[in-house]
Amino acid sequence: MKKLLTVLLVCFGLATYGQTTINPDTVCVNATGEQYFVTNTPTSTYNWVVTGGGTLSTGQGTNSITVDYTGVGSGLYPNAIEVIESNAANCPGTPVLLDVFVLDLSGNVIGPFCPGDPTTPLVGTPLGGTWTGTGVVANTFQPSTAGVGNYVLTYSMAGCNTTINVIVNNGPVTGPIQHF
Amino acid sequence: MRKLLTILCLFFSLTVSSQCVSNQSFLISSPGPYSPGDVVAVDYTLGTFTQLNINWIIAFQINLGVGWTNLIPLINPVGGGTQTGYWLWDLQNTYPSGLNFGPGWRFVNTGFVPDWGSSSTGPFTMRFRVTVGPTCTPDDLSISINVIGDCLTGGWNNGACCNDPAFNIYNGNVQVVTPITSNINHY
Repeated sequence: MKKLLTVLLVCFGLATYGQTTINPDTVCVNATGEQYFVTNTPTSTYNWVVTGGGTLSTGQGTNSITVDYTGVGSGLYPNAIEVIESNAANCPGTPVLLDVFVLDLSGNVIGPFCPGDPTTPLVGTPLGGTWTGTGVVANTFQPSTAGVGNYVLTYSMAGCNTTINVIVNNGPVTGPIQHF
Repeated sequence: MRKLLTILCLFFSLTVSSQCVSNQSFLISSPGPYSPGDVVAVDYTLGTFTQLNINWIIAFQINLGVGWTNLIPLINPVGGGTQTGYWLWDLQNTYPSGLNFGPGWRFVNTGFVPDWGSSSTGPFTMRFRVTVGPTCTPDDLSISINVIGDCLTGGWNNGACCNDPAFNIYNGNVQVVTPITSNINHY
């Protein structure tokens, strides 16, 4: 029982106070409602500054804000999120900064295929992500495994996704040879 | 010759700078350090004022660092000796000598000898209160008191002024508390 309580306390503590965001932070292109926060001190106020194209949507003055990245191009934005906490005496603390990397994924166009076509590599940009979907084997597409049909394949990285459509058509059906 | 030099030296030292105050003491309501909003009461006592060359005491000036605000008198000095008058709390007064006084208490003569001060030799006890002002910087919180004789203010013009150094009550700076913010997290 004591062990269980210890584990629960550790997990709760980590969930409440843990630093989960690595600098730079990564967001997906055109993401909206991304929430940023610092540990709250009830008597403090928080002044947030969002640069690099992101838009502060809600929460200015509090310890938690939401940011929209609609229309922001991919790339690294140094010091994109800044917060300055002021205490009850209106004395400011040291600014806390966070870099943001806006991630825009894309995948190569492949197909259409016939069921007997060979395996085709799936290439995502930037490299390093993972492909999933019907007929996907080790980041390649196997028409023979997928079979005839329309498929949506997903390329994923750092919590962002993009998709491509792949078609596997029926091959011609040839009848038996006739002799007149 | 040696006797003459001794007399000259003694005279010279008396005319340049002489000290009249002794047995000064104070009580402070809390020892510090202080933060914005802290309120401190100070009791100051001058045990004896020696009337060197008939210098009379005329004012107590409170010297405060810039971190203090809201200076309030609580107990006025008592006693005018044989002189009629009263101790007035004043924020600023320019004496006939040009001495810029304030804030503090100054003796206002109401008898036939204006500007002579009090003929009392003490003791004098007084109390005042100050508050640490709002600030985000470690401002100066020093407190000291100057005791001023009428020779310095122009009421008595016979040399041998009582020019006592300020009596130090507190030295320190505002304890500034700035917030420590955690790293930014992203859900």
